[in-house]
Amino acid sequence: MPGPNLRMAATDWERLRKHCAPSFRGRRDTEGGAIGLLGKRCVKNATHELIVSEIVWPEAGDVLAKPNRALTFSSRYMRRAHMAVRKKGLAGLITFHTHPRADMEVGFSFYDDDQDPLLIENLQDLWPGTLLCSVVLGKSSQQGRLWISPREQAALARLVTVGKSLRYLPLDGRPPKPAPIASEIFDRASAVTGSGALAILARRTVAVVGASGTGSLICELLARAGCRRILVIDHDIVKLANLNRILYTTKEDAELRRPKTEVLKRGIENLGLGCEVVSIVGSILDDNVMRCLNEADVVFGCVDKDYPRILLCKYAYQHLIPYIDVGAEIGGDAEGIVSTDARMNYVAPGRWCLRCTGLVNARRLAFESLTTAERKRKIALGYSDDLLLKQPAVMDLNMRAASTGMMLLRHLLQPFLLEPVPATLAENLVTYNMKPIASARCHDDACDICRVNAQTGFGDCGEPIGLPSDVAAALVSAEDDDGERMGDSCGVPVTGTRVKSHPSGTDQNLSKVPWWQEIASLPVSVFLRLWNAIGLKK
Amino acid sequence: MQIEKAKAEIARLALSGTLIELVTQGVQPFALVGGIEAPSPPWDRNLYDILIAIPIAYDLGTALDGFYLGLPYKFQNGEHNRVNGQVVSVRDRDWKSVSWHYPDGKPFRLGVDNIESHIIHCRGFFLQRGAVNART
Repeated sequence: MPGPNLRMAATDWERLRKHCAPSFRGRRDTEGGAIGLLGKRCVKNATHELIVSEIVWPEAGDVLAKPNRALTFSSRYMRRAHMAVRKKGLAGLITFHTHPRADMEVGFSFYDDDQDPLLIENLQDLWPGTLLCSVVLGKSSQQGRLWISPREQAALARLVTVGKSLRYLPLDGRPPKPAPIASEIFDRASAVTGSGALAILARRTVAVVGASGTGSLICELLARAGCRRILVIDHDIVKLANLNRILYTTKEDAELRRPKTEVLKRGIENLGLGCEVVSIVGSILDDNVMRCLNEADVVFGCVDKDYPRILLCKYAYQHLIPYIDVGAEIGGDAEGIVSTDARMNYVAPGRWCLRCTGLVNARRLAFESLTTAERKRKIALGYSDDLLLKQPAVMDLNMRAASTGMMLLRHLLQPFLLEPVPATLAENLVTYNMKPIASARCHDDACDICRVNAQTGFGDCGEPIGLPSDVAAALVSAEDDDGERMGDSCGVPVTGTRVKSHPSGTDQNLSKVPWWQEIASLPVSVFLRLWNAIGLKK
Repeated sequence: MQIEKAKAEIARLALSGTLIELVTQGVQPFALVGGIEAPSPPWDRNLYDILIAIPIAYDLGTALDGFYLGLPYKFQNGEHNRVNGQVVSVRDRDWKSVSWHYPDGKPFRLGVDNIESHIIHCRGFFLQRGAVNART
């Protein structure tokens, strides 16, 4: 049974390696090191991964290192780190130190074996339950172990660094082994996902939140890319209006009201590619469902609501998990279609969240986080109809978004795209324009999700991210209620993307019917004529 | 619940003398604000109670919009045309929703506006700005 992984932000790992680099230069006789704070991710109450939430960089006199002698951390430094763990409610401490003469392989010394049990004993005397991780760094390898008590330790399996790429480094003290030869299934894919990246994917669990048009395509792409295990999360059932875009759905599924996730599980597992699909029927807003993501190494967000998106962003920073949000939007005005966008956003430590990129809208988020009754009262006032228009959804456009998201995952495992990856990558098919948007248009340097998030890397030691089940259920039933009221508007070519919030603010004419309401109430035949006319014009 | 920020704002306002408390209907939170001043006439009294719906995602950066007016009330011996929404029963009292929104050019500003500034925005409804907009 492999031990837990250690997860940290790529920027912290790079800075740590730079901080320790003098050990591996010149005379190579002096150790270097630092102490970090640990969060953790649990699966079924067991520690599944440890997260380096923060490195407490040493100040002058904190690291006592002499040539050819073992390094010691000053008691002041240890106390500072330990107090931070207690204050923040974190899981424990991690110590990093170098073995300067270790070139290819590195291992713990007898001195380390003597000192680590004493340290964990002291720490647990002060704060019972504290964990201690210890990592020793060689020039091109590292070894790690976890101390649960002075007599109980476990080897750490891998170091996962998350940032502009996703790296899995062995923590067994040896340099990375050559990847196994890939099955011939992946012969033609090896150019973009070499055997190293493929071997990683073949051992990883990817979560797909949303099992509709884009989500089902992502699952298919993951399975065919060699992913071992997919967690697919959706609370919804198959409806007739979904058959235009959800893979593997049949009329019978709609008639029997089968959960979308169950249908996907059946479809993907029948491919015979060895990919296991775990179907989770529930809303990601629910904290119990959100906790299922703890098993995942990467999260794909394929939802069309802002509330789940923003919670997934919070999750990405709190658990240091790469979150790839994909979606498709058809924008229109009274004249017709003006944009058909396939979009991908990559959220990870050091990158912008979806609120800063402007994808999550405060007004929509407010509306989505009201209960059914309150939403109805808002709707009755007549200024929320644009929020109720469901995004049109067609498989052709979903495919563009899904494939961009999947390419990004391949890039994270084996970089090949131009870097840095833009904050938003949007493709407008009306203008044949691929638009890399480097900046976050609503960026806030004090953003409490992606910039000054006090719970970055806390994992399960931080506040719960999702909602209590009853609150989540109230919001989900409100969503379903909106759906019934508006009908499924798939195929309607005009959305509210260009609709203004309140056409004339407080001075509006109350009796005037908003134009989008008029459009939404047009008969289907009129829509089809409008659609054809636009088609001819184009 | 994700309204810790809202709870803290309400507690701070209450400490500074505002008649405000957090109430819920089912899982939907509201801020119940008392003592909103109004000129009488045209209003039938000088102080009103209002109810502000707090979105559950308030702490994640959502806008506040509109409010509810405690019933009964009279404006120019009749009804105000903006008090035209649905009725909610909270704390054994009926409250009617008021169509009082932020104008396009002057929206609720995230990170700047909060419950306190929204109460000030709601006060405008009872003053001349709200009164002149009423259809007579």
